[in-house]
Amino acid sequence: MPPPKTYRAEGLVLKNIPFGEADLLVTLYSREFGKLKAVAKGARRSNSKIVGHFEPLTVAKLSMARGRTLDIVNQVEVTENFSSLKSDLTTLARGLYVAELVDGFGSEASSNQQLYDLAIETLGAIQQHPSWELVLRRFELHLMRASGFMPELFHCVDCRKPLEPEQHRFSPDAGGTLCLDCAPYGVQIRSLSLRALKVLRLLHRSRIADLPQLQAHESLEQEVKSLLSTAISYWMDKEIRTNSFLNHLERLPKAEVSS
Amino acid sequence: MTTEHLPSAAPSLARLIQELNKLPGVGPKSAQRLAYYIIRLPNEEAFDLAEAISAVKHNIVFCQECQNLTDADPCTICANPQRTREQICVVEDPLDVLALERTHCYHGLYHVLHGVISPLNGIGPEQLKLKELFPRLANTDVKELIIATNPTLEGEATAMYISRHLQGANIKVTHLARGLPVGGSLEYSDELTLSRAFQGRQEA
Repeated sequence: MPPPKTYRAEGLVLKNIPFGEADLLVTLYSREFGKLKAVAKGARRSNSKIVGHFEPLTVAKLSMARGRTLDIVNQVEVTENFSSLKSDLTTLARGLYVAELVDGFGSEASSNQQLYDLAIETLGAIQQHPSWELVLRRFELHLMRASGFMPELFHCVDCRKPLEPEQHRFSPDAGGTLCLDCAPYGVQIRSLSLRALKVLRLLHRSRIADLPQLQAHESLEQEVKSLLSTAISYWMDKEIRTNSFLNHLERLPKAEVSS
Repeated sequence: MTTEHLPSAAPSLARLIQELNKLPGVGPKSAQRLAYYIIRLPNEEAFDLAEAISAVKHNIVFCQECQNLTDADPCTICANPQRTREQICVVEDPLDVLALERTHCYHGLYHVLHGVISPLNGIGPEQLKLKELFPRLANTDVKELIIATNPTLEGEATAMYISRHLQGANIKVTHLARGLPVGGSLEYSDELTLSRAFQGRQEA
C-alpha cells in the first residue's frame, strides 16, 4: 500500500531560506520523523498568513503533503515560540547555537525523540536558567549521547581499564578518555584534568533542574567548554557558524549585550 | 555550464548563454531562451541593455554618508537640504529605501546596512555597514535613529544589536511598529505577531 499523501508532524524550526519567487524552504527537526525539509508556499508574500510560523526557534504542528522531491506545508499552528528567548540578543544567539547543532547532528527521515526533547528542554532552560553556560555544556554532551557519539568517560578507550582518579587525556577521534599509559597512533590528544572529568561525568548524569547547584571555577568552565567544543567540531566536521557571533557578543562590554 | 556543453552553438552565443546562466534563478534552459530572445531583439534594444549593464558597473558607488547605491556621491537624499538631519532610518537593503520613499511620510536620512546579522549563515556585525553607522551618529546632530529592519528573527537580532550598542548614547532609538498588516486576519496570525500588536496598540 502506498504511504498516505499527507501526514502530520510537530517540529522545531531550525532555519528557513528563500525559495523560488515567494516561498520558504523550511528545515525543522520533528518529533516523529527527525529532520525534515518542506516548502511553505507563498510564505514570503506580504499578505501571507503563515510567515510568522516559520521563524527559527519556533515549535509548530504541521500538516504536510508529500511532494516528488520536497514536501509541501498545508497547515501550520505554533505551539511554542520561545518569545522571551528571542527578546534578548545573547539568549537568542545561544538558542541559534542549539538550532545549528541540532541541524548538524540530526538525521533526515530518522526519528530521535531523545534529541528532540533535549533541544526543546534546553531552549526552555536557556531563556530562564541562571547557569546557562552549564545548560549549553550539558546540551552538547547529551546531544552527542543522543546521536551515538557519546565520548567514553569511565574507561580508557584504548586499554579498556577503569580510569584512576588522576590527570588523563582526551581524544575525540579515539572516542573519549585515554589513560596516561595509552597513546594510540595518529589521533589528536589533549590533556584532561581530573576536575574537568568529574564535571563531564556530573553533566552526563544531571538533569537541567540540578544544574544551579553546580559551581565551577571559570578556568574549569573554560576547560570543559574547550573539550566539548573540540568533540562537537570533530563530529560535525564543519565550522559552527553561530560560535563566531557568540564569541563576538562575549567580547562586547556586558552593558551592551545583556538586558 | 561551460561552452563545451554547447558544441553546436556559435562561440559568441555559447558565451552569452554561459554568462546568463550565472544569474540567480536562471538555469541552463532559461539561459538559452534569454540568449535567443536577445539575438532576436532589434540592435538598438540589445545595445541599450548592454550599455545599461556597463553604466551600472561603471557609475554605481556606495554613498559615503548613507551607504546606499548611487551614481553621485553623496546621493540625492543625503544631498537634499530639505531633508531633516535629525533622523536616520536604518534599513536592510537599497530596495527598502525605495519602499519607504513611496510612503512620502518620512523626510529624514537613511542608512543602508546591506544585510542583517544572521548567525546561522555566518553573517556577523562586521560584514554589515554598521561600522559606518556608529561614527556617523557620533559626528552629527542626529536625535532619533529609526530601525526599520524586517520583522524577522535576523532583523530583530540586528535591531537589538544596534539598540544595545547605543545604550547610554544621547539618541532616541525607535523601531517601526510590529503587528497586524492592513487587510490581515486575527484568526490566522501567529502568537508573536498578535502579542506585538497588543504591545503596540494605540488609543482609538
